[in-house]
Amino acid sequence: MVRRFDPIVLWQIVVGLLLLAAWEAIGDISGGMWTSRPTLIAVKLAGWLQGSLYPHLATTLTEVVVGVAFGVSLGALAGLVLGRSPIAAGILRPIVVAFYSVPLVALAPLFIMFFGLDMLPKIVLVGTVVFFLLFFNTFAGATSVDQELVAQIDLMGSNRRERFQKVVAPACSPWIIGGIKTAMPYALVAATTGEMLAARRGLGFLLSDAASQFDMTSLYAVLFILMLLGLAISEVTAWAERHLLRWRHAQG
Amino acid sequence: MPKGDMAGDMAGDMAGDMGGDLAPKIDLQGVGKRFVTREREVEALQPIDLAIQDHEFVALVGPSGCGKSTILNMIAGLLPPSAGVVSYDGAAIGGLNRAVGYMTQKDTLLPWRTAADNVRIALELKCRAMPWDEANERVAQMLTLVGLTGFEKHYPAELSGGMRKRVALARTLIYEPETLLMDEPFGALDAQLKLLMLDQLQDLTRQRRMTVVFVTHDLGEAITLADRVVVFSARPGRIRAIRPVALPRPRDVFRIRFTEDFAHLHESLWDELKDEVTRGTEV
Ligand SMILES: Nc1ncnc2c1ncn2[C@@H]1O[C@H](COP(=O)(O)OP(=O)(O)OP(=O)(O)O)[C@@H](O)[C@H]1O
Ligand SMILES: [Mg+2]
Repeated sequence: MVRRFDPIVLWQIVVGLLLLAAWEAIGDISGGMWTSRPTLIAVKLAGWLQGSLYPHLATTLTEVVVGVAFGVSLGALAGLVLGRSPIAAGILRPIVVAFYSVPLVALAPLFIMFFGLDMLPKIVLVGTVVFFLLFFNTFAGATSVDQELVAQIDLMGSNRRERFQKVVAPACSPWIIGGIKTAMPYALVAATTGEMLAARRGLGFLLSDAASQFDMTSLYAVLFILMLLGLAISEVTAWAERHLLRWRHAQG
Repeated sequence: MPKGDMAGDMAGDMAGDMGGDLAPKIDLQGVGKRFVTREREVEALQPIDLAIQDHEFVALVGPSGCGKSTILNMIAGLLPPSAGVVSYDGAAIGGLNRAVGYMTQKDTLLPWRTAADNVRIALELKCRAMPWDEANERVAQMLTLVGLTGFEKHYPAELSGGMRKRVALARTLIYEPETLLMDEPFGALDAQLKLLMLDQLQDLTRQRRMTVVFVTHDLGEAITLADRVVVFSARPGRIRAIRPVALPRPRDVFRIRFTEDFAHLHESLWDELKDEVTRGTEV
């Protein structure tokens, strides 16, 4: 596919610039006490990019990545196992649902008390949030695997492992990937929330630190970074989805 | 014993009891099936007796909903009969019957595998020791046989209904099961392609001396291929007639339709079937 320049993009840029100009003007008129100003924020960001931002960014990213890795693998595994064994599902699923009824960020103080001030409690929080989303999605997928496909493969002589590997797991892959797509924004929320409560590093820490000092410029700068991070994460997952599930929307 | 002779012998003895020395490959004795759903009970198949010999090619025809697919499902062991016994090689079937290759009415291709990989899965599961290169070669041969060269890398979503059927056919044939169950395998194909496929199927099943149970709506297809044609009544299914096809083998699938014997048989089968088809739509 050849990318052609789209005039819409031009208008998007124009509108964006106008909004920034309006913000700058308001900041200029009001003194910028609450609104700060885009130019100040840009200068702040440029300063941070010289070096002081990276430890915070790395901390948040590590928490997200490690938490997601644990949450996805455990959640998908639990969903697959319970989805394929009605007895285990009958016993355990109500328990999982009960735990899920607790607003998960409310667990943050608990994890901080258990695991201290560093990355560990945030990783656990991210992992927990991701685990539940992945569990429910994968469970739905595993219970809806086409039984005719399973029967066909069984008839050809598959054993349990092959049935799982060649039918159940691939049939659930759209559900797992869908789960990851929904979970990623929540993972970022969980990591920053944890950092805002108690941390020495991370974007959430930067945010609450700036707020406590009424440093609006820094606050907006952090929000801007979080926005970029969120966009990047959703772009990457959308790309991965397209790539991994080519067979689904394969139409040319 | 050559196949034509065998079909001839059976012509004299249609009562269902084949005598002592010919133990049937597949034997349905008093086999009936009723489905119980939430609100009501459907009698799909009234108790029937049918014995299918080793290396025999039997076609089942009958109006829609008369229980043809249900019979294949029971022979494959996917469905237990609600009355009677289905035996295979003299033993009652309990659980999956892995001696059969089953090409179902709905194509059950794996949507995440390309055409070639869908065919290969049969080898992965049945011929585990086969080296990768040899498997690739057999898959390519098989896809050529069903006329799908050039579509190896296409996913099922990118293939037409008839192409998907042919991938399923290739997958069923590649591991050469001793018994083939086929449920309207060529329904979605155009007339010319259908003849080509019938020709290939005849060659292959004769070479490998397979036992075949073949469900179709097309009487011509049934006569062209089968040693016996079984006509079913409208639901609930019963056997209305069994006709041996005494045409010599190998048959020229492209010309046999124009012979007199074929026309006679076609007419007599159509006489049996047409009442049932009209009855089936009235109910
Ligand atoms: N799983 C099921 N649950 C309930 N009823 C069923 C089920 N499968 C089949 N039936 C019923 O049993 C009858 C026979 O079905 P079957 O699929 O064997 O027909 P068929 O002869 O293969 O028809 P067709 O030629 O249209 O494929 C039908 O009336 C159908 O409604
Ligand atoms: Mg059917």
